[in-house]
Amino acid sequence: MSLAPDLVSRPPVARRGAGAGGRSKRLLPFAYLGIPMLILVVLFLVPMVILFLISVGLGIGYTDTVWSFDTYTALFRDPLYREVALTTIYIATAAMIAQLVVGVPLAYVMAFKAGRFELPLVLGLVVLDGLNPVVRIYAWRMLLGREGIINSFLEWVGIIDEPLDALLFNEAAVIVVLSTSWITYTVIPIYASMKAIDANLFQAAADLGAGWWTILRRILLPLAAPGIFVAVLLVYIPLFTDFATPTMVGGTSGYMLGQAVNDLVLARGDLASGAALSFVLLVASGLVAAVAYRLSRINRLQS
Amino acid sequence: MSHRLRVGDALALALMTVVLVVLVGPIILLTVFSFNDSTIIALPFEGFTLEWYRSALSDPGVRESLRNSILVAGIVAPSCVVLGTASAWGITRFRFRGRGFWAGLVGATLVVPWLVIGVSGLVFFVYLEVELSLVTVTAMHVAVTFPLVTALVSARLVRFERSQEEAAIDLGASQLQLMTKVVLPQLAPALAASLIFAFAWSFNNFEISFFTGGYEETFPVWVYGVLRRSYNLPVVNAIATLVSFVQVVAVYGLYLFVKWLAKRRGSNDELTSLVGGIR
Repeated sequence: MSLAPDLVSRPPVARRGAGAGGRSKRLLPFAYLGIPMLILVVLFLVPMVILFLISVGLGIGYTDTVWSFDTYTALFRDPLYREVALTTIYIATAAMIAQLVVGVPLAYVMAFKAGRFELPLVLGLVVLDGLNPVVRIYAWRMLLGREGIINSFLEWVGIIDEPLDALLFNEAAVIVVLSTSWITYTVIPIYASMKAIDANLFQAAADLGAGWWTILRRILLPLAAPGIFVAVLLVYIPLFTDFATPTMVGGTSGYMLGQAVNDLVLARGDLASGAALSFVLLVASGLVAAVAYRLSRINRLQS
Repeated sequence: MSHRLRVGDALALALMTVVLVVLVGPIILLTVFSFNDSTIIALPFEGFTLEWYRSALSDPGVRESLRNSILVAGIVAPSCVVLGTASAWGITRFRFRGRGFWAGLVGATLVVPWLVIGVSGLVFFVYLEVELSLVTVTAMHVAVTFPLVTALVSARLVRFERSQEEAAIDLGASQLQLMTKVVLPQLAPALAASLIFAFAWSFNNFEISFFTGGYEETFPVWVYGVLRRSYNLPVVNAIATLVSFVQVVAVYGLYLFVKWLAKRRGSNDELTSLVGGIR
């Protein structure tokens, strides 16, 4: 995976004979980087700073500037948000685990067992991810709804008399839909790291008497670990900040933090609180990223 | 041993089948019910019709949101290929003060959730009293999408044979000649992939368009809005089927193109180009 850590850790080439040196040489990188970096500073970094300033009381629109951390203390004191945070962590974690439970074996099958199905599977996952995420959520709602395809099918063939309400608008529906939405980003990094494993290792281990459990625990998982960490980094953060999925299939029991941000900002027009909650999510994402990166480094040292 | 292998193969096949059904099934049904002659999306199937396609294509909301999305993505994708490639070159080929910071900033945009970027864009524009429109959407899309191209292209650049570049420099090539004659031709597959993925990223983006678009809706925002107001609609099935069909063809076409390029050069890295496009 081509992520930032890669960009940082790889040393650049030593330039040989690249001009006469001096001022023009020192400025050359900025001929390439100047505009992109200006864009990132103006449209990414500055908005983040303003987001933070608004969350601590910077006046916006008709409100006056009153510096305070009240928005944060209010968020952390409110039992409602605590509950929503717990639901969010539960849903995101469950969806992440579900994806790993399916994704690790799938990546293994793709890398070592699929044969002529390998390429179609990779391509299929990429194509699937190219589809519109909102459309994919809708497809699930169409399937699971009270008057949806599954219910109408079951009624039609006479298995049930009344439509099942339990299919949609609950935590389980959110977990299922989120898992299918992000599976590509879970499987591909793990698949990529497994492709780098020498398949002879498995045979060698088996010849030396290792059972499948030992092979899985001692060879496959440790060697695939960097890919697993990348997958968690890429998927877990969007999972706990998602708001389209819970809005469309979650109902009241699947209410998540992303929706809370949306409701604060757009429904209540409380930009300060919305900004504060967004900033909390940003810090949480940073923590997840730092932990995932850290763990992947530890593993690299061990192997 | 052979018996155990067969059990393993059966499990593998079962896994692939289940995954396929769960992932592709809903999309297939979406398509099937776009042809169903009923306003309710439910079984039994009432008969075949193209009515929903006709009403989808004449719906002003559909037309406007699709036009908006194509317009935005049409600007975002080529700009991001240029910006992303330039910054990839700057970061991978030079050593300068602040390089780690810039590389980290590019990486950060790929990890920070789109929800937070969307809200930060919203408060940023509201604070500056800039009216939210397709312009603000496009600006935000460019900022979050070109780092993807940077990641894709740098992944390719760090694996390059650099002797050609060095030879070109030693022989006195200018920066422009170095780019057009040596670097860009080698980057062609990564650039093609970048163009398609940048387009798809912008076209599919929901969160950022939702928060920074004001009253101007892109296609995903329109779908979301319609489904918030009413329940499942065959019209949405029809237009979603059309859009998905084009998306599938685009990604598959990209795959064939990259494969063709690789074959012509005798290299075998079509997969990495594609897989690199994953966020």
